[in-house]
Amino acid sequence: MSETWTLGLKLFIITAVAGFILGFTNYLTEQPIMKQRIQADMEARLAVLPSAKEFEEIEIDEVADENSKIIEIYRAVDADNNIVGYTFKVLTSGFGGDVEVIVGINSDGIIEGIRIGEHSETPGLGAKASEEGFTEQFAGKAIDMPIEVNKTGDLADNEIQAITGATITSECVSNAVNLAINYYSESLIGGIDN
Amino acid sequence: MKLREIFTNGIFKENPIFKLVIGMCPTIAVTTAAINGIGMGLATTFVLICSNLVISLLKDFIPSKIRIPSYIVIIATFVTIVGMVMEAYLPDLYDSLGIFIPLIVVNCIILARAETFASKNPPIPSIVDGLGIGLGFTLSLTILGSIRELLGAGTLFNMQVMPNSYEPALIMILPAGAFITLGLLTGLINKFTTKMD
Amino acid sequence: MEYFNKLILLFVSSALINNIVLSRTIAICPFLGVSKRVDTSLGMGMAVMFVIALSSVITYAVHYAILVPLEIEYMQVIAFILVIATLVQLIEMIIQKTSPTLYSALGVYLPLITTNCAVLGVAIMNIQEEYDLIQTLVNGIGVSLGFTLAIVLFAGIRERLELADIPEHLEGVPIALITAGLMSVAFMGFQGLIK
Repeated sequence: MSETWTLGLKLFIITAVAGFILGFTNYLTEQPIMKQRIQADMEARLAVLPSAKEFEEIEIDEVADENSKIIEIYRAVDADNNIVGYTFKVLTSGFGGDVEVIVGINSDGIIEGIRIGEHSETPGLGAKASEEGFTEQFAGKAIDMPIEVNKTGDLADNEIQAITGATITSECVSNAVNLAINYYSESLIGGIDN
Repeated sequence: MKLREIFTNGIFKENPIFKLVIGMCPTIAVTTAAINGIGMGLATTFVLICSNLVISLLKDFIPSKIRIPSYIVIIATFVTIVGMVMEAYLPDLYDSLGIFIPLIVVNCIILARAETFASKNPPIPSIVDGLGIGLGFTLSLTILGSIRELLGAGTLFNMQVMPNSYEPALIMILPAGAFITLGLLTGLINKFTTKMD
Repeated sequence: MEYFNKLILLFVSSALINNIVLSRTIAICPFLGVSKRVDTSLGMGMAVMFVIALSSVITYAVHYAILVPLEIEYMQVIAFILVIATLVQLIEMIIQKTSPTLYSALGVYLPLITTNCAVLGVAIMNIQEEYDLIQTLVNGIGVSLGFTLAIVLFAGIRERLELADIPEHLEGVPIALITAGLMSVAFMGFQGLIK
């Protein structure tokens, strides 16, 4: 056997053993990782719509969602199987890239809460959007008017206070919320979907 | 060399960050908070110990001509294992370290130890060497992370330390703050170690 | 047309706004190591560009043609790093035989590139961000131009620092790091360039 073959064979053996070990580790960790992801998603939905008991994913009406920025919608039901509201996962572009916003709207047409998922906004500025001080402003807003960002002070009912030095991020979050509101008003109003 | 010497060598004399100035990417990138520093440090230490051990055991099997690809495959295996385990059981840490977990593969510290130590020494000293260098790396990352977190967010291990009136210095948790802090720290350590010599 | 705009945005973003060295803080080792002189850092930048452009296309193919169909995505890191290491070796052999001038310009930097985190970083990022083949290529070229820009500017500053009177203990690496920090602040000015 020539030297090249020996070298190739040895490298192949090492890689094959490595592949085998990784396959085994993958087998062990696959389930926990899946469970972890499902649980994290569930927690995010519960955080924005606490009155819900269970969630069921529904199909997104392509026509209503022009920009295809809404990536997930769940119908939320309580223990008696009554629809209590919907949660939306929306992607809008912020300062450093896409920001993932999860919005919960209940069947009374009130925003129950929002949460910021993955984002790459500047730490200390735009990243403050994921802090409670900013997100809790959205809770309790009615959906009859779009949410506006206000930089100065005196807030109207449909306005939220922008994060200092991060107007783009603030607007990107309110845009996401407005997309969810629009979709809700146009396709899901009254808690009836098809 | 005695085992104790091999161990302390990695922490002080050949401290990868402050003395050898290698493995810079994770050092700059993930040290926005002390806990990230520890997480990255320990993940790297685990890979270092395992790859050092395996490479030391296989040193007669691996021909020198294909040693670099072989080392890389071994290192990449352990890095992937660390990534999978972390994603399953420490998802928050996994998210905040992000792309820097797979990039442990190209952390020059690990390949350098494989080449200069593990491929020439028996298994036990190789493990100790991995442990020493790894802890030296972890220690440096934690110090850097603590300073940046303290000044940049006013907290330490996520606990409020600075008085509430302290306005966090934003620059400290940006990449710029990492470069500058590391530069000043390295300078400070140079000053003290040259005195000792 | 919209797709084309998206490509331009991607290019600007990967070259300037999310500069691989100063904003994403990947590839710091070559940035500090090969930046003492402008001409060598330019050579390094070119070599990196060459390797990143080729490797991002090949790793893209490996991922979608081999790893995904076989459902062995967990082999990604091993597969990619082997592709990069092999590719670097191949490029070295090819240009050594075909173009001695190019070899004398880039040859010394090539072995260093295997452990250049930018190459593996870009390959993994392309998959994570779910770029298509053209975006992958644009991203790769953008990143490597950004790397070249940063390292050449940095080398220019360091050449002058050689002559400057700096505190004794800050000489060498410490002052280089502080300089990099200031450059990183300057590059933050690119943020908000696109909305």
